[in-house]
Amino acid sequence: MKHMDEILASIHQIPPFPQVALKAMDIISNPQYIVSDLVEVIRLDQSITANILKLCNSAYFGLPRKVSSLKEAVVYLGTTQLRQVLLGSGAKDIYDRPDKGYSYFVGELWQHAIACALMSQLLARHLRLPLDENSIFTAALLHDVGKVVLSTYVSQEFAEIDIMVKEEKLSFHEAERRVLGFDHAEIGGRLAELWKFPDLIVAAIRFHHQPEKAPKQYRLLSELIALADGLVLMVGYGTSVDGLSYHIPHLLVDKLKLKKDDIQVLMIKFQEEMDKAQEMIDVKDAL
Amino acid sequence: MAKITIGIADMKASADSADILTTYCLGSCIGLSLYDPVARVGGILHYMLPSDSINPLKGESKPYMFGSTGIPRLFKTCYQLGAEKKRLIVKVAGGGQVLNESGMFNIGKRNYAFLRKILWKNNVMIDAESIGGNNNRTMYLRLSDGQVMVKLSREEMVVL
Repeated sequence: MKHMDEILASIHQIPPFPQVALKAMDIISNPQYIVSDLVEVIRLDQSITANILKLCNSAYFGLPRKVSSLKEAVVYLGTTQLRQVLLGSGAKDIYDRPDKGYSYFVGELWQHAIACALMSQLLARHLRLPLDENSIFTAALLHDVGKVVLSTYVSQEFAEIDIMVKEEKLSFHEAERRVLGFDHAEIGGRLAELWKFPDLIVAAIRFHHQPEKAPKQYRLLSELIALADGLVLMVGYGTSVDGLSYHIPHLLVDKLKLKKDDIQVLMIKFQEEMDKAQEMIDVKDAL
Repeated sequence: MAKITIGIADMKASADSADILTTYCLGSCIGLSLYDPVARVGGILHYMLPSDSINPLKGESKPYMFGSTGIPRLFKTCYQLGAEKKRLIVKVAGGGQVLNESGMFNIGKRNYAFLRKILWKNNVMIDAESIGGNNNRTMYLRLSDGQVMVKLSREEMVVL
């Protein structure tokens, strides 16, 4: 198991979550924050500044006129959307690293993350889940961050994982565990822990393929991310070497007595949201 | 040569034999490709769900989201570009499944069953297909000769 130790050690070589984004999120977590303090911090990161302006002017937010100053954009976006942009900017930089193992198209993992975030929010609203919107967005956006680590450091083992998936009809994360001793969800959880995200977020990432194992107080968010992840894979967002080789945990489906039609209705709404969010997904092109 | 991409819930057709049509991200969705080798006209539809009966308004505003509204439009568009029904070569890819056994998530199967039914009613045969399994697929249609290629996750590209 020396190899596993090496991979776990390699987590520390992944660049840290952008500090400006974390610091800015920290500032806006205080409801009394002063806009100029926030602007001073964000200005330090050109890519986040550019993302905020681009997003503010995107069709997704539908503002009546073009905004060109950062301060104005911050005021226009409001706390919830600002948090999404900050987190998104940070996550995008992490997800857009070169990929060896999972064979994603460029930007596909980022697209999958946004898709999962939109689907999770839709599901939570539709099912009236007692969960905070910020936590949902954060957990959904970061849920596959472990794939970035595995892709970079264990690309050779993918052939073995692949054979196991095909021959034994295992789900992809189960095969990862058999071959490596852990899966991308567990690595992602450890990474989020290292970045000092709250325990709820760490648990949702770590258990997004087996929410039944999540500590009880964090289970609902893990179940939500699990369901959203599976549904967006079905629609086609983010399938790569792992394809559709997953069981969708249907704890929420059973608990809330969801019907087949509910799933279709959600998929329609989700695709509308994805169309609106296209500029958010393509945000890298603007930089 | 123009590379034309068909998104999710989208359809495009062309009569320019230099074009290559591509649709990515076929999970449980269906990619339906039509080609007339004489007129050198072809098109691809990428639909998400079988029938707009679930939301008829959406069927009007986003017809390519559903098989029921998208399939007839694909055929009509190809006819308008000069294709003839009797010459059309019909190829299909997608309809993948997650590992769940329950019917809750079997939209891929339902998408494919719907396609079979509507084609059968209209006396149209499927010439080749790559359907089902736990795969996602990318589908290409080359307008110069009608060759359809499919790339499955974890596999090499194959000619359909």
